[in-house]
Amino acid sequence: MKSGRLVPLLFLAPALFLFGLLTIYPLVRVFLLSFFYTEYGFSGASFVGLENYAALLGDSFFRIATWNTIFFTVTATASEVGLGLLLALLVSKRFPGRFIVIPTLVAPFVLSTMVVTAIWRAWFHYDFGFLNNVLRAGGLPPVAWLFDPDIAIFSLVLVDVWQTVPLTFLILLAGLQSIQPEIYEAARMDGAGPRQILLRITIPLLIPHILLASLLRSIDSFKIFDKVYALTGGGPGQATETLSMYVYRLGFQFFDVGMASAAAVIMIVIAGALAALYAVRIMKGESHAG
Amino acid sequence: MRGKVLRPALAYLVTALVLLPIVWMVGTSVKPPIEYVSPVVDLLPNAPTGEHYRQLIDDGILGKMLNSLIVSFGATFLALFAGFLAAYALVRLKLPKNADMAFLLFVLLIKLSPPIVLAIPLYQVLRTLGLLDTLAGLVLVYQVYALPFAIWMLLGFVRDVPVAYEEAALMDGASLFQRMVHVVVPLMTPGLIATAVFVLILCWNEFVYALLFIQTPSKFTLPTFIATLITEDETFWGRLSAIGFIASLPILALVGVVQKGLTRGFSGGLK
Repeated sequence: MKSGRLVPLLFLAPALFLFGLLTIYPLVRVFLLSFFYTEYGFSGASFVGLENYAALLGDSFFRIATWNTIFFTVTATASEVGLGLLLALLVSKRFPGRFIVIPTLVAPFVLSTMVVTAIWRAWFHYDFGFLNNVLRAGGLPPVAWLFDPDIAIFSLVLVDVWQTVPLTFLILLAGLQSIQPEIYEAARMDGAGPRQILLRITIPLLIPHILLASLLRSIDSFKIFDKVYALTGGGPGQATETLSMYVYRLGFQFFDVGMASAAAVIMIVIAGALAALYAVRIMKGESHAG
Repeated sequence: MRGKVLRPALAYLVTALVLLPIVWMVGTSVKPPIEYVSPVVDLLPNAPTGEHYRQLIDDGILGKMLNSLIVSFGATFLALFAGFLAAYALVRLKLPKNADMAFLLFVLLIKLSPPIVLAIPLYQVLRTLGLLDTLAGLVLVYQVYALPFAIWMLLGFVRDVPVAYEEAALMDGASLFQRMVHVVVPLMTPGLIATAVFVLILCWNEFVYALLFIQTPSKFTLPTFIATLITEDETFWGRLSAIGFIASLPILALVGVVQKGLTRGFSGGLK
């Protein structure tokens, strides 16, 4: 198809302008800011080299936030992919009402994170929350869901699982349905039992989808902010402080722009590594995983 | 044979459990406080009341909803406009070698970066433009999420438009503009609608930037309004549930519209 050289540029211009203003400039800027000490906000910046990074590595809060973020990311991703797989296997075959069950299972994922958080904050309430009411009705002791430092991060995982299992479920269900029925028939002809079929055929064929779901969820859990902000505020103590919360606090509460930028750069590097994994996966899988 | 009964039964049970928090929310939104501030397991109200909804109107919920609508539709329109042109250029027009691949990788990287890392410089950008604490400012910064998403999703839909149609129009002497308006856009309408729905949901639910860049309470969107209610008092559950239900209704309705595209849309258009 013929077209002048200018036309593609013209078409890309609005997107390029928006990216330049809202992404490229901010990325460069945050990188530069990370080498400066700034006096309360943006005024009186002085170049300090790598001092902000050195200060971060020496800051126990930063180490705790990093550890919590990794712990949350791994725990949430593993639970979400595992449960998503179980759910997908559960509804992969036809049964009455399946057409209602599937969209219903997806409902939590479309709710606003703030709505989700509002519900669960009420459910976690020690005295009147739904969860503790159920525990007490069953004769069990109530749990300090958000105030026990050993439990709070698992409560966040629980909320994240409820909200995002629909995504892993949908991806894995699509994967299951893309497996040709003839493969199963051949396996049955050869005398394979249900367990063998699951472990030797279904799971190996699902690997690309399992990887996709894991990457999508790990990239997303790594960013976690809203739920921490509204459920625990990072507490009790620093038990649920995450990197996003840490950057928010430094930049928007203590106005230590230099330090916050250095922490942001470290986050970009980690997210970039995850993204690279993802990019490789997409390039490789473009032709068959669909 | 056992699986024939067991599996559906288990599926129904799990579905009911998954729905429980939503049922609780709807129930609580019409419960008088005395019923939910109580140590008893109880999902549905005994004496339903519309009090929480009435109070939300006094709190100015309609204004917040209007803000959310303005920001979501504004951001979606901008993302679709810039995203469609970019996606079309990437698929159809001859770009320099590797330019489209580099652009796509860049889009991917942005999509995957945590929003908070751009927040500090974006704050300065908005301040410089005089758009801090304005809805127009939010429409602009939402492009950080919305535009890469829209481009990535629209790419697939542009690829689905048969080149032959456009070539036929070209033979008939149609200009690029005419081909776009009379051939490409009409053929892509379902794709554009699906993309619009997902971008709308994304923007409707956005929280981080709305929290950081809007200070005046009358300009709050629904998520930031909910956040203030959550942190203000421990047991405003009736009002919280009512607002949660109101904020969720339009989205649940929209999802019904695009059921078939669910997986593609929710995996971030990246599948």
